[in-house]
Amino acid sequence: MKKLLPDRTFSLFFTIIITVLVACLIFPSTFATFDNFSQVLLNVSIDTIVAVGMMLLLISGSFDLSVGSVAGLTGGIAAWLMYYHHYPIFISIAIALLISVVIGFINGYLIAYQRINPMIQTLAAMGIIRGFDIMVAGSGIPDLPYWFIAIGQSKLLHLQMPVWYMLIIVTLFTILFNKRAFFRRYYFIGGNEKAAELTGIQVKKMKVYAFILTGLLAGIAGILLTSRIGAAMSSFGKGMELRVITAVILGGASLSGGTGKIPGAFLGSLFMGLVANIMVIARISGYWQDIILGAILIAAVWIDLKVKRST
Amino acid sequence: MKIELIKISKFFPGVKALQEVTVTIAPGKVHAICGENGAGKSTLLNILGGNLQADEGKIFIDHNEVKFSSPRDAFAKGITIVHQHLSLIDSLSIAENIYGNSPPVDHYGFLRRRNMISNTTNLLEQLDLKKLKPGQLVQSLNAGEKQMVEIAKAVVNNPQVVFFDEPTASVSEKDSLIIFKIIKKLKEAGVAVVYISHRLNEIFYLADEVTVLKDGKTQGTFSADQVDEERLIQLMVGREIDQNKRGSSRHSLPLLEVKNINGPGFNDISFTVHRGEIFGLGGLIGAGRTEIVRAIFGASLITGGILKVNEVPIRFFHHPIDAIHKRIGYVPEDRKTQGVFEDKSVAENIFVTELSTHSVFNAQKQKKIAEEYCRSLKINTPSIYKKAGELSGGNQQKLLIARWLYTNVDVLIMDEPTNGIDVGARFEIYGIMRQFIEQGKCILLISSELNELLNVCDRIMVVKKGKCVQILDAKNTSEEQILSLAMQ
Repeated sequence: MKKLLPDRTFSLFFTIIITVLVACLIFPSTFATFDNFSQVLLNVSIDTIVAVGMMLLLISGSFDLSVGSVAGLTGGIAAWLMYYHHYPIFISIAIALLISVVIGFINGYLIAYQRINPMIQTLAAMGIIRGFDIMVAGSGIPDLPYWFIAIGQSKLLHLQMPVWYMLIIVTLFTILFNKRAFFRRYYFIGGNEKAAELTGIQVKKMKVYAFILTGLLAGIAGILLTSRIGAAMSSFGKGMELRVITAVILGGASLSGGTGKIPGAFLGSLFMGLVANIMVIARISGYWQDIILGAILIAAVWIDLKVKRST
Repeated sequence: MKIELIKISKFFPGVKALQEVTVTIAPGKVHAICGENGAGKSTLLNILGGNLQADEGKIFIDHNEVKFSSPRDAFAKGITIVHQHLSLIDSLSIAENIYGNSPPVDHYGFLRRRNMISNTTNLLEQLDLKKLKPGQLVQSLNAGEKQMVEIAKAVVNNPQVVFFDEPTASVSEKDSLIIFKIIKKLKEAGVAVVYISHRLNEIFYLADEVTVLKDGKTQGTFSADQVDEERLIQLMVGREIDQNKRGSSRHSLPLLEVKNINGPGFNDISFTVHRGEIFGLGGLIGAGRTEIVRAIFGASLITGGILKVNEVPIRFFHHPIDAIHKRIGYVPEDRKTQGVFEDKSVAENIFVTELSTHSVFNAQKQKKIAEEYCRSLKINTPSIYKKAGELSGGNQQKLLIARWLYTNVDVLIMDEPTNGIDVGARFEIYGIMRQFIEQGKCILLISSELNELLNVCDRIMVVKKGKCVQILDAKNTSEEQILSLAMQ
């Protein structure tokens, strides 16, 4: 227990269990239903997919503020190609995802090889990409093809598809991070970049890969978001970057790099989803949501520091 | 001003850091304190500097008992510390750094820049540091010059007692001499100087008195002319040390050949390292030695010339990983920022190169191998899962060597491997190096300690301003010859 307590994945899991149990006792008829649980999972699914990429970046000691804009633009481009140019669904999605990969590459290249600070680079990219998104999606693109909408709105075993995508991505990356040297390298890059370089890790290349992967995951999130709503709007993904970073830090990542686990990204975002859900059920004003989440974030990081100092 | 420490003790949870230490520091004298890492030198320093409070014992200044509750308190009583880790701000000028806490101001609290500059000029002149200009930015200085500014900063308020905590740790021989001069000046002015260093020859050069600490206890205070180096080492380590005069195990087979290589910071460098040989690179700090070995290892560019590893020609390595594939390893100069992954476990630090050479990485599985390395290299850690950052400097250095032994390299490049490491660990590292070359492998060693170069290496190349001055046989040369070649 003493050993596990400093591990955020464990302590957060424990907190979530307690939160769920308490909420079940207080709201047995509204909270403790399958429909509600599946709704919570659906609400957090798209953020979680992006959080996996963000976790990877934070482990490597960097982060990406442009993910929300990338999600918006990818959805917008896919919709634009399908609605105005009548491209096939598959081709439209492929082109949109390719663009998200290219954006990830540009971010990664400028940060790793040209040494632009990630904060500045991705902040600027956030604005630029949002601008393109507004040009493409403008006042909204409705009437998307049936099969495109089916990607995000169909169900399997009573759960919405985005939940399944999320579970697949989280599981896949959890396994990859535990087993593959390629992904383990990010812990060492985040821990000590110079030492990593001198032990043979190609730090710059690895950083570019991390941004590409994050761009791609943000792109997938954008497609799902557009498909779920059935239309593209230029406001899609706004504020996503900060929500996702909050989730990832709650899940055990640190801005200085080197720590964090992929399941932490899921747990962090699930916890945020649960808090939001419970507040709706408890009929607490939505304004309180951000206040409470902010307070929880500070408390989590602060408790963590206390625990680490005492051991 | 005379400071007496009477039976000072300090306890940390589980450790007796200092036990009944009694020392007298007299004005106008240089008092050296030596001991291995962990012997209690820094604790003693921190107590006198006001950072820590003693649990037992008394401190007297000129026979009046005093208590320091904070660094400010000690400072007010005329005690300052020249820190080992530089506390200067790179983006500010020398003058601004020196007057950092309390710059001269007028009645309204506004800065009097002109005063500050002229005061600084005077101060630098007093210290014979005329080559430093008050307006110069600290980032343009080399390590030695920074240390000089650090000293100027410490003495600006005319302290009575100055502590030097390894001031020459990362400073060239030439700059060390300037620092010694300043110290002698302070001493002549009646200041009490306390000098902490691992370098015994410095202690004999400077000190009037030497106090040896071991495991938090004093082994005694001696007048510097009463003891010799061997006796001091014995007192510090508590056992006899084999001062390894070794026979050469050098073969005639070349393992690493470097022919006319050029790159940023060096040009036209050629040498050959044979199997079973330790090849030294000597010279002043900033002479380009680190640049040369980093380029050989692929961590920076080689713009011309050729390398041969095991008689296979290679133009250059694009990245360290290519050098590692050719079985070359590099122990960098600064183990803290470039070598150790401080928040990773001991085992992960040993196995880290597998991340780039294998597709699966699992540090947990090879528990036995890691433990074997810890045992054979005497890496003192309670567990292989302990974070490497919690180990002492010497153990971290051995950990870095273990990393390359595990990677099974043939050529090991070591850049100042004994910098800041206590005597015991230092000789253990020499032992590991000897075992390594006896297997028919070779070592390329950079060291700024001349006697280390002479004792450890077979041949020594003296580097000056990025060029090779001469390659010497270690048996037929002397410290004076190397130094004069490096400085001429």
